[in-house]
Amino acid sequence: MSNKRPPQDSATKIALTGIAIGAVVFLLVDWFVLPPVHTLVIANPLDWLLLLPFSVISIVVAQYVQHKREAARLEALREVDRLKDALLASVSHDLRTPLTTIKALAHELGALGDERSQIIEEQADRLTHLVTGLLDLSRLSAGAMPVNVQLNAVDDLLTAALQDTESQAAGHALITELPRDGTMLVGRFDLALSVRILVNLIENAIKYSEPGTAIRLRARRQQEKLLLSVEDSGPGVPTGEEERIFTPFYRPAGARPDAGSAGLGLAIARLMAEGQGGAVTYERDAGGSTFTLELPAADLRAE
Amino acid sequence: MPAARITILVVDDEPQIRRVVKHALEDSSTRVLEAANARAGLDIAAAERPDLIVLDLGLPDGNGEDVTRELRGWTQAPILVLSARHSDAEKVALFDAGGDDYVTKPFSPAELKARVRALLRRAMTAAADGATKIVREDLVIDLEKRAVKLGGSPVHVTPIEWDLLVALATHAGRVMTHQQLFTAVWRGRDHGDAQQYLRVYVAHLRRKLEADPVRPRFIFTIPAVGYRFGP
Repeated sequence: MSNKRPPQDSATKIALTGIAIGAVVFLLVDWFVLPPVHTLVIANPLDWLLLLPFSVISIVVAQYVQHKREAARLEALREVDRLKDALLASVSHDLRTPLTTIKALAHELGALGDERSQIIEEQADRLTHLVTGLLDLSRLSAGAMPVNVQLNAVDDLLTAALQDTESQAAGHALITELPRDGTMLVGRFDLALSVRILVNLIENAIKYSEPGTAIRLRARRQQEKLLLSVEDSGPGVPTGEEERIFTPFYRPAGARPDAGSAGLGLAIARLMAEGQGGAVTYERDAGGSTFTLELPAADLRAE
Repeated sequence: MPAARITILVVDDEPQIRRVVKHALEDSSTRVLEAANARAGLDIAAAERPDLIVLDLGLPDGNGEDVTRELRGWTQAPILVLSARHSDAEKVALFDAGGDDYVTKPFSPAELKARVRALLRRAMTAAADGATKIVREDLVIDLEKRAVKLGGSPVHVTPIEWDLLVALATHAGRVMTHQQLFTAVWRGRDHGDAQQYLRVYVAHLRRKLEADPVRPRFIFTIPAVGYRFGP
């Protein structure tokens, strides 16, 4: 979180403040209390014995008070974080009812022949998408996304990802490529999360490549990794931006503000992959962009 | 023809959602009853014996799982669950309790209608039980002869694959959880670590039955929950 200072910083601050307070106490006591008064001279060496512990105690007390205050501040920040997450979860939940009503009414209007109803439905879907994305991002960055790793077949992953995307691939041919020798690819991963990553990557490819072009889904195994690539023939990510595309709210320079995305998909995809021991990487060649989801592979015991 | 009327009960605390469901499903042959909470839902279900129940997962006076289990105590009417992005664990618990299918809010009326129709169709065919063959497109499952034919040619399946296929096909249109499939197939068998291989067995079965194993016609994947036979 950007509003939390790094801990070393505040520790140094506390130490310096404590020492400063200690030094001031030292000087004040010397000036006003120790004879000769109103000079900084300490005539009696025994007075040092009095002064030093006194200063040390004031340093320690000052540090302790500061530390308490800092802890209270951090606790307050954590509380704000918790509230933010609870708010996001509740808002995302409560938005679903009105969105259902809006979609349904738009649908009814559409049946009466009003073409604008389709726009209402599309915008309601876009809002749903955004709310879902924000909630996911909040859960992922708080480390609160449940991960359920199981032995899974890649067939299931591709099946479910295609179920969710093929209907919106209007104009794009989705071509799937499994190992030619018929090998069954299996791995240890969370199926539901991996489906959502792949859906994000496919939706991205649909959005950023020309209709009529092919999007290739390639599954293969490389040593201990399963590689699931989504290849499009779009213009690709500008040079130098290859890592920035994975930061939340990233938008390509010059993109229309309503390009239909809040720039959350890739950030969420990467965090979801990392949460189960995988990764999402990007590569570009002359033909277009390739996003690859890496997941841990598994071996089937000979039966 | 009032005798052939279908009765659907919708249980949801949001009047707007009840209105949407009613509007989507009600026509000359279907009447839709409404209940605003679990208690009223159970009472109306007991009194009116609906043919199908649309149940909200987040009711103020009881969770969907308990309501489903209570309903399953005395009715086999299909239960379609409306969920507002509940956790996968909650969905699984709901299916294990006897729910049949779910749609996530916000859903479109068309999607709701399609699911309801599929569930009603299955309920009707299940009523004519005792069939020895399950036919879906060019797939024929002969329960008596324990044989599978695809496009007229026999398909060899292992005993585990056969049990999986029968468990799925006899509950066509209904989501079967991993646990339900496991119980149906491995009951009485030596388990070992079979449960973790369940998904792999399904993938093998699918490769034998589907022309394109990642665009299935028969066995669909419901991530984190299980599988469904048929659309």
